[in-house]
Amino acid sequence: MGSVVSLVRVKRSAEDIIDAVSEAFDLINFEPDASVKSVAIKPNLCYYWDSDTGYTTDPRVVAGIIDYVRERCGEDVDIKVVEADASAMRTKYAFPVLGYEKLAKEKDVELFNLSKDVLVDKTVHVNKREISFRVPQLLLKSDLSINVPKLKIMRATKITCAMKNIFGCIGAPRKVVYHPFLNEAIVGINKILRPHLTIVDGLVALGRFPAKLNLIMASADPFSIDWVASQIMGYKPSRVKYLKMAFNEKVGDPEGVITRGAEIAEFAKLFPKEGLLSTGFLWSLQFQLLKTYKKIVGDIIPPVLEE
Amino acid sequence: MTRVGIIGLGRMGMLHMMNCQKIETVKVVAAADSSRKALNKAKAAGVDKLYKDYHNLLNHVSDIDAVVISLPNFLHFECIQLALENGLDVFTEKPMANTVDECHEIVKMAEKSRGKFMVGHCMRFVDAIEKMKKNLERGIIGRLEVATIEEVINGPFSHPRVPAPVSDWWFNPKKSGGGALLDIGYHMIDLFRFFAGDSKVVFSCLDHKFNLPVEDGAIVLLQSSNSSTKGIVNVGWYQQTIFPKYNFRVILHGNAGFLTSDDLVPHNLYLHAVKEGTRNVLRRIVRRKIRPLSYTYYYESFYKELAHFFYCVENDLDPLVSAIDGLRTVELIHEAYEEFQQEPVG
Repeated sequence: MGSVVSLVRVKRSAEDIIDAVSEAFDLINFEPDASVKSVAIKPNLCYYWDSDTGYTTDPRVVAGIIDYVRERCGEDVDIKVVEADASAMRTKYAFPVLGYEKLAKEKDVELFNLSKDVLVDKTVHVNKREISFRVPQLLLKSDLSINVPKLKIMRATKITCAMKNIFGCIGAPRKVVYHPFLNEAIVGINKILRPHLTIVDGLVALGRFPAKLNLIMASADPFSIDWVASQIMGYKPSRVKYLKMAFNEKVGDPEGVITRGAEIAEFAKLFPKEGLLSTGFLWSLQFQLLKTYKKIVGDIIPPVLEE
Repeated sequence: MTRVGIIGLGRMGMLHMMNCQKIETVKVVAAADSSRKALNKAKAAGVDKLYKDYHNLLNHVSDIDAVVISLPNFLHFECIQLALENGLDVFTEKPMANTVDECHEIVKMAEKSRGKFMVGHCMRFVDAIEKMKKNLERGIIGRLEVATIEEVINGPFSHPRVPAPVSDWWFNPKKSGGGALLDIGYHMIDLFRFFAGDSKVVFSCLDHKFNLPVEDGAIVLLQSSNSSTKGIVNVGWYQQTIFPKYNFRVILHGNAGFLTSDDLVPHNLYLHAVKEGTRNVLRRIVRRKIRPLSYTYYYESFYKELAHFFYCVENDLDPLVSAIDGLRTVELIHEAYEEFQQEPVG
């Protein structure tokens, strides 16, 4: 069964963000267990472009989550902000570049590189494909894991939000090896890692260009979040391949997904949706034309365009 | 025929190799890189002698006449030194060295060497810049008072189609020699010198928005040494832009008018690519030489600078960009770093 998804409109001052995070939690009736001693918060730090570009999670949203958790679980709870190295990104640079070192100092929390953790080998089957992952032990042991994705469109999967951010938890940096079967891999890792809570930073979303949506969403179920997020981004959820696959694999169920708070339409009208010809399609077309031109004329394609 | 060894096969080195292969008087006979994948690409492109270590390439100088150096910055000095000692013609990526002292040494070595020496100041070879220089010299804007020169791009953060991490040396000041100012500010400062002659730094302000040990943005005010002309250089690595979007412009403000690169570069690079691509197809049909990379507009400058260098080698001429130009540009960058330390802003 799907879960409740809260949508909260937020002004962009730091105080308002903290209030919106609390409101989003309250709307889904989230009550953390009082026995929670360890918390892992996973933002989306996929590259070095800061939150104003729409690529990465705003540290102020993570700050709001830290405050909320401390208020409910006690000041002595062990909070780690976690991210794994990726094919092109290294956390040792992403943490300072994106303002997380400053956040860690201000909030007295630890920054943790999941790729340096003990990695546990896990294998799952999705769509008759066997997929193996190296999963950080910390995420399997944390009392409370909170997923803090962005709201973005992506060439390979149409959308990227809660379930794709879990894919970012895979410990091995070269996640590009999963790209030939990315939809299956997203569903697969979500079979293994189930965050207790997802809170979406939709302050700036990334469509054809970045846009200020001033949105915070929350839910206990990543699938339900993505079901709603895809509607905001202009895609029919049932046509998003990994959501369809997740339903077939019993990772999620749209039945029972309901929203509370603001209306989906309020944010959908602000989101810069993909045009009829997607940028991915146009890029591929350009590249094919360029390769044909190179073949005919014997000209050069600069490596920066070809790689 | 000039026999060339390519040292360093990263993105720039690979482009230089491909460009060299388009120059009729050049044959690429050797290449060196620590990456086997890069060497395999060179092999597939027809390069015979491949080395994992560039020292080994430089130990076989009887096989080569010239080298093109595109190594990480901190390796430039030693490599240039070895190549010049062996009497080779040397084309090197900028900066020729990370310190002013090392640059002085290279100037001395280049003067003594029997080979030609040129630093890759590619922006001087961009069509729009060449036209602006000609028009300035024709006097059509009168006396040059102020030049504003800017480039704000993604620097080392450009995200390749096949993702790969940014090499650590970029963010290590000892290895890179600096950040955005040294990387792209280098070219902007050189352009000011190109238009206004030798200069000094009046003011500089460096940015560290990314909290890294090297600057990700810089604004430098320059003053020409022999006129009242001033230059405003604005550079940054902080902008997420993808080619064909290219945030670069030069405005020359004279007392009789102005020139702007925006009027001279193609307004739509896609249309330009179609136009130039078609011209090259026609050239191929009538068996004339094509203009490599002209469809990209900006990347053509990399071909033109190498073609110029090897033309100078063939005809025993002095290249347009000398070791002194390389030295003066590095000196000005160091002046800007020192100026900022003396007068911190913000």
